Amino acid sequence: MQTILDVQGIHTFIGQYHILQGVDVRVPAGSITALLGRNGAGKTTTLKSILGLTPPRQGKVIFNGREVQGMRSFDIAAMGIGFVPEHRAIFRDLSVEENLKLAERAKDDYARKRDFIFDLFPDLKRLIALPGTSLSGGQQQMLAIARSLVADNSLLLIDEPSEGLAPVIIEHMMSAIRQLSTQSTIVLVEQNFLVASKLAEYYIIIEEGRSVQSGMMKDLVNDKAAIHRFLGAA
Amino acid sequence: MNAFFRKNLLSAATLIVILIFFIAAAQGMNSQDFVITFLRGLSVGAVTFLVASGFSLIFGLLDVLNLAHGTLFMIGAYIGWTVFVRPDTFADLLTPFALILSGFALRDMYPLLSARVRLGLRMRRILPWALIIVSVLLLGLILPRYPIAGWNLDNYAESPVTYSFMASQGTPLPPPTATFDQISPALAIGGLLLASLFGSFGLFLFDQSVQRSPRLSWRSYAGFVVLLLVGLIAFIFNSALTAFLLGLNANWLFFIAVIVATLSGAGLGALMEATLIRPLYSRPIYQLMLTIGLSAIGVQIVQAVWGRPEFVMPKPTLFNGSGASCPATSFSSWWQGNCSTILLLGGRVRTYNEIFIPLIGLLVLVAVWILLQRTRLGMIIRAGVQDREMVEALGINVRRVFTMVFALGVGLATLGGALAAPSMGLSNAMGESFLLNALIALAIGGLTSYPGAALGSLLVGLIQQFIIKYGQIGISIPFTSIVLKPTPPIVPASTVLLMVIILLIMPNGLLGKKE
Amino acid sequence: MQKKAFSFFHNNRASLIVLFALVLLPFIVGLFEGASPIVVWENQGGISKFVEGLGIEIFILALYALSYDLIFGVTGLLSFGHAMFFAVGAYLTGIALKSFALSLPAVIGLVFLAAILQALLFGLVLPRVKGITFALVTLGMASMFHIIVTSSELGNYTGADVGLQGVMVPSFINPANERLRFYFVALVVLILIYLLYQRFVNSPTGRVCVAIRENEGRAKMLGYNTFAFKLAALMLSSFAAALAGVLHALYQPIVSPNVADLSFTVTALLIVLIGGVGTLSGALIGAFVYRLLDFGLRRYIGENASFITGTIYVAFVLFIPYGMVGTWRLKSFRVAQGWRRLLAAFKT
Repeated sequence: MQTILDVQGIHTFIGQYHILQGVDVRVPAGSITALLGRNGAGKTTTLKSILGLTPPRQGKVIFNGREVQGMRSFDIAAMGIGFVPEHRAIFRDLSVEENLKLAERAKDDYARKRDFIFDLFPDLKRLIALPGTSLSGGQQQMLAIARSLVADNSLLLIDEPSEGLAPVIIEHMMSAIRQLSTQSTIVLVEQNFLVASKLAEYYIIIEEGRSVQSGMMKDLVNDKAAIHRFLGAA
Repeated sequence: MNAFFRKNLLSAATLIVILIFFIAAAQGMNSQDFVITFLRGLSVGAVTFLVASGFSLIFGLLDVLNLAHGTLFMIGAYIGWTVFVRPDTFADLLTPFALILSGFALRDMYPLLSARVRLGLRMRRILPWALIIVSVLLLGLILPRYPIAGWNLDNYAESPVTYSFMASQGTPLPPPTATFDQISPALAIGGLLLASLFGSFGLFLFDQSVQRSPRLSWRSYAGFVVLLLVGLIAFIFNSALTAFLLGLNANWLFFIAVIVATLSGAGLGALMEATLIRPLYSRPIYQLMLTIGLSAIGVQIVQAVWGRPEFVMPKPTLFNGSGASCPATSFSSWWQGNCSTILLLGGRVRTYNEIFIPLIGLLVLVAVWILLQRTRLGMIIRAGVQDREMVEALGINVRRVFTMVFALGVGLATLGGALAAPSMGLSNAMGESFLLNALIALAIGGLTSYPGAALGSLLVGLIQQFIIKYGQIGISIPFTSIVLKPTPPIVPASTVLLMVIILLIMPNGLLGKKE
Repeated sequence: MQKKAFSFFHNNRASLIVLFALVLLPFIVGLFEGASPIVVWENQGGISKFVEGLGIEIFILALYALSYDLIFGVTGLLSFGHAMFFAVGAYLTGIALKSFALSLPAVIGLVFLAAILQALLFGLVLPRVKGITFALVTLGMASMFHIIVTSSELGNYTGADVGLQGVMVPSFINPANERLRFYFVALVVLILIYLLYQRFVNSPTGRVCVAIRENEGRAKMLGYNTFAFKLAALMLSSFAAALAGVLHALYQPIVSPNVADLSFTVTALLIVLIGGVGTLSGALIGAFVYRLLDFGLRRYIGENASFITGTIYVAFVLFIPYGMVGTWRLKSFRVAQGWRRLLAAFKT
């Protein structure tokens, strides 16, 4: 299978802190890959390093066969990476529609994709004129994912989609992500192992800034020892 | 709606208190004093707003406290004066400036060029320095020999003060002429262009954060070609242009002066951001030092070029009439006589200072508001003020937007300067006082809030003018015969005090958002 | 025991050499103009007296910058009102000596109280405002003070726009007759405060202050009452700044209202930035560089000096990115390596 994203031994510093100390991530095209690990292990930083938001000092990030480390992050993103950050980062001063329109890379992106987006998240359609502030947590999450769909992205980096959401909404979110995986590759950071194990085909465990184990999700589900050791969950 | 009110209770209460004070202040004076004071407040408020809004846009999006903003405001005033009073100097300056800037318009091409240049590490270090030194040498060689008809600071009869005075009397001095001095015109033009290319490329090489080349399109060259054409056309038709500008109606000339001041402010801002501010985003506190340094340089340049004495820019003829029908009693009679004053509710109001400036302020307020609310650029700015990183993650070239916003902010300040020149006069100290005014206005209204900048500026302008007026007429304390006259220091003290109180009640200002 | 003492000298070699040089400086300068140390001791030497004067000014400025570095560089509070700390000390001293004829110890006691009071005043607003808003509030407070001291109503005490003059300085420290003594007093005060600050920064309390600068939320989460630590830093800073003000009032013939102005706070900011934010020794070096630069440029270039100063600031920002001491610390490793290589090259 073709590899769409290949991260090779990246080291990232934030200030003087050495956050990532050698992370490898290989993501096969068309898959859902979950980054697992405890709080503060460096999962979010890995996503940000791929995008160049926290540029890695060492190592390579190869996206679609091109080395992108050291490029400006908006240039990396413009190559076709969508980002759904932790805490959603909805723009409060912009209406829901403006939040979506902002993500356009070509002039008609929004017009082209709006039907698809509203099919996926019907709730958003009636909220379209509201300011970003007035959305609930679940609605914000939907908007954040929808925003990453406006432009043609072949890779979506989704950070903690289930965080702080009610179980019903998590279900909805999961089905949406599953639907998306038919057209884009998805890298998922997820604390909730249950969600991650249901969604992802592949996993990578990050522990103290290093990628320590990777493989097929279905193997990990049966490996209770590893789950306990790395994730602290049963 | 209810929730909205509850959320903004504090702001509303403060506004009501201010309103009560305002009404009380209005009660204390007769209607003609009130009209004049109110309009003066609007005028000061409008100029403050032009400085404050630019400052706030820059601070909001870029997190840069541009302490040179006041100096740039002042430079705008001096540029406006130059174009208005000495259009021939402006025509002479157009060519060298366009040529020097043209190199910077090619910056999209430089990453490609620097990737092509294969050099050893040592040469890579030396190259930018060498380029810049060559560029500076070329400029130093050519500019003193380039014909720019100016004024003479050492000779009072040819100083800006005299030019200004004579122009305001309606008998402008005949401008001197200048010719190329020991250098052939073609060499001078070519040298300037070369200096510009070398200098801009050298400066670009210092900025090591840019590594990969963006895509090139015709837009990458458009700016260069336009500047080059402007420079060459202005050079070839220099005398025709000078004659045209000198023969122009003063109103049109004033209009051109304001536009030129705004555009050159924008250009200066873009240049500042791209070359000096950009390397400092990773260590923000040093931006303070940089802008303080730039501010000192700016003041010195103004002193060296335009001199220390204060002078006033003449008003455009539209607001300068003093015929038999003046002061005008209505707007139609003003239109006929172009009176400098108009009678409103018994008060003699100066049309330029107290009617025109507030109107322009309102116009800019609306225009920038539309820009922020209705355009994609505005959308990016509003989003970027909140979360720059996320905007970048959407694939938007935030750097370009940074440059644009810096240009816009500085352009607004220089626009304010050019507008204020005829009403408040030009002095080396005008920048500092307006920066302070703008800071206070922003603190009151909310540092990164655009409507906040407007409200804060309005309050600052009104409060200052009312207190100045009361300093003249005195406040009679109710039920006593004591008349209290606020002394001049109360004017700055009052706004500063208001700022401190408001910040303590609402740390984000009246209209600022909570972080 | 002996070894310990030796290692103290060894570790502080550079500082001790500088200190030694500063003590000897007036005498050495005296020798150059042909005045024997005894003449200098009796305050007769012309040039050495002048150099002492410059030294005193630098010490005062260094003390003032040091106090700013403690709150801005170490604790991370951006204050635009620091000049008020200094000016309160200066004006209080001047007024107490001139209008109330208090004795010097009483004045210093008074200044101490005032320092605590103004630190409390600044501290009062701390829980409410952060970052740039704190800077603006302090700017407001300092501007109010500036307006008060320049107002004509208090002219009898403060001298209004002109400044406070005619302060009767106790004769044993009078800068005209006993300048050498003044020089040493200023030097000793500076060193004492510097050592105190050094101690503070390396103490657990000081470390919390640094933690507040780095990430206040985290310091709070660890259970520290960050407000108390910030207040402590403010008090310590206010005291040193006020002390610098006292020396200023004693040394200068006029206490100009400019010392209460925003531009004087900017001076402190610039000094700290020149030296290196958060490095206490940077404030000292910065003050030295700043004052000499200012003095030299004004003397040799005159009116256009601030053009050069402005250019130098811009160059500083671009080429000495973390201040002199900060950049030195970053690069010293590489410099040391270069030295070693150079020495090795000579040996072979």
